[in-house]
Amino acid sequence: MSEPKRLHPIVIAINVSKKLKDFFFTIIALFFIGNKGDGGQLLLVGGSLLVVIYIFVSSFLSWLRYSYRLENGEIRIEYGVLVRKKRYIPFDRIQSIDISEGVLQRLFGMVKVQIETAGGNGVDEAEAVLSAISKEEAQSIQDYVAELKTPRLADTEEQEFLNTNSVIYKITTKHLLLLSLTSGGVGVVISAVAAFLSQIDELIPFERVFRGIETLAVGNVIIVAVLVFIGFFIAWILALIGTILKYANFTVIKTEHDLVISQGLLERRQITIPLNRIQAVRINENIIRQLLGFSTVLIESAGGSASNQEGSKVAVLPLIKNREIALTLQPLVPDYHIDIPFSPVPKRALSRYIFRSWLLVIPIVIIALIFLKVWGLLSLVILVAATFWAFLKFKDAGWNIEKEQLSLRYRAMVRTTILTKKNRIQSLEVKESYFQQKKELATIETFVKVGFGGAGGRVLDLGKKDVEQIFSWFSKIKRD
Amino acid sequence: MLTEPQKRISEKALKVWRISGGIKAVVGWVFAAAALFIIHIFDGPIWLTSSIIIAGVIFTFLLTFLFPALRWKRWRYEVREEEIELQEGIFIRTKTLIPMIRVQHVDTVQGPILRKYQLASVIVNTAATAHEIPALEENEAEELRYSISNLAKVADEDV
Repeated sequence: MSEPKRLHPIVIAINVSKKLKDFFFTIIALFFIGNKGDGGQLLLVGGSLLVVIYIFVSSFLSWLRYSYRLENGEIRIEYGVLVRKKRYIPFDRIQSIDISEGVLQRLFGMVKVQIETAGGNGVDEAEAVLSAISKEEAQSIQDYVAELKTPRLADTEEQEFLNTNSVIYKITTKHLLLLSLTSGGVGVVISAVAAFLSQIDELIPFERVFRGIETLAVGNVIIVAVLVFIGFFIAWILALIGTILKYANFTVIKTEHDLVISQGLLERRQITIPLNRIQAVRINENIIRQLLGFSTVLIESAGGSASNQEGSKVAVLPLIKNREIALTLQPLVPDYHIDIPFSPVPKRALSRYIFRSWLLVIPIVIIALIFLKVWGLLSLVILVAATFWAFLKFKDAGWNIEKEQLSLRYRAMVRTTILTKKNRIQSLEVKESYFQQKKELATIETFVKVGFGGAGGRVLDLGKKDVEQIFSWFSKIKRD
Repeated sequence: MLTEPQKRISEKALKVWRISGGIKAVVGWVFAAAALFIIHIFDGPIWLTSSIIIAGVIFTFLLTFLFPALRWKRWRYEVREEEIELQEGIFIRTKTLIPMIRVQHVDTVQGPILRKYQLASVIVNTAATAHEIPALEENEAEELRYSISNLAKVADEDV
């Protein structure tokens, strides 16, 4: 199949609507600014019309110029209207393939394919994005990739050409609900709402509205508190629905070489990650899930980008009972040790953990006491909470070395356990400040290549002997 | 106790860091002068003026004398067949290990001050991180870049 193919023309509509959406707010804003004088308005309408025409034409042309073909074990894409570009990606180098069906694509029976490599800086989109192709076409790409991989296996030992597809995990309704109820997605929704408001603040005369609220607020603190609470509640409900839609029908399948994850109700998506591309395994437990004995398991790969974060950090087990992790994960990543004992941080580090949390809180308490007098005493609650949190951090921190695997555990907001193989660690750092040195403590940090955002782990104030042991383990030369 | 890496960076680094520290100090003094001028206009208290001046003197001393000296004393590196080890940091001592097979490419860079003293910095890049060995003799930096990229070539697995 080497003849170049175009994407489905629906791509034009997708692009036009995306660009129009971006342009929409600008037009509205301009209308408010350039409201005075008839001449200005005419110019504005004319200008907008031109831009709209430009959007249509450029979307059409870029669709016309975009073609892809599968050739020589590569996917070859040619695109660009004024500057013509060609991009060839060898399938060997693919970190992940992400097939998703947005609502618009589904109407036409299309899918969107995003192909990630380890290249690029992870800031933009995936290395190759086929915004809309038919399902059969996507399937034939996958078949092509599978075909490429199989012969290589054929030379090695006896072939077991059984159908090795096995379902590793399937989310239950109960777990889906629990996952949504305990998700930290509220913050995301709040920031989305804030972002939306900041977009339309040219539309609504906020200042006038707020002045009204302010006078109201002075008289009525309770109403504001209730409003804020309602706002949070709505945000939480939205996050809940969002999580349910995203993780409904969540299934993990292991094929011969790949890990295939499918999920979603309205927007379906399927992510394929070659098993030998896995950089690290990360186990996250937010405080509520930790209390209930559940965690989230993520698999990190070097693909992924800002617009496709799932390409680099994939939740393979979005919610799982802690004691089931090892059993469920074993077939996926047989060379990882999951049930391992963690060596803790020495007791003498506790004071440093607490001191660090006080560093931030004490000034707040002092300022509160100065300005709020007796009411400022309430800030002591923050101090107690911070101290308790510091104690949790201290208690959760730990490390383990099991043959070729380094495991680090630490807590920021959520408790994180990161398992990495020695040959996946890009670099390793040991840090000692003057005060740490006096207490014979040191900090360890590892770096792993993950598509979007740095990754790795960092444990503060481990015993110096332990850190030296990790350092020697990672080093290639023999040390005493 | 782990052994320290053996090689030091060029002694001329001290001079270079003093000069760049001096430049930073001059920039700092410009801002300080502006602040002092404003305080003077608004008849600010004398203790404010004097504490700004004292802070300025202390920072100038730190930037041009103490920090370069401490930094140079701490900086060590060692390039072995299979890994690179670095040690740096004034207040926080950081030791870094970079396996040779993880090195993606090596750069040498040379700013105007470094060029004046025939020095260059080597930057070692992995897929996830970048590490700078500052202020080496020009020919040493060249050699290092050459040998690291040669040693790194042996690796055939990616990321």
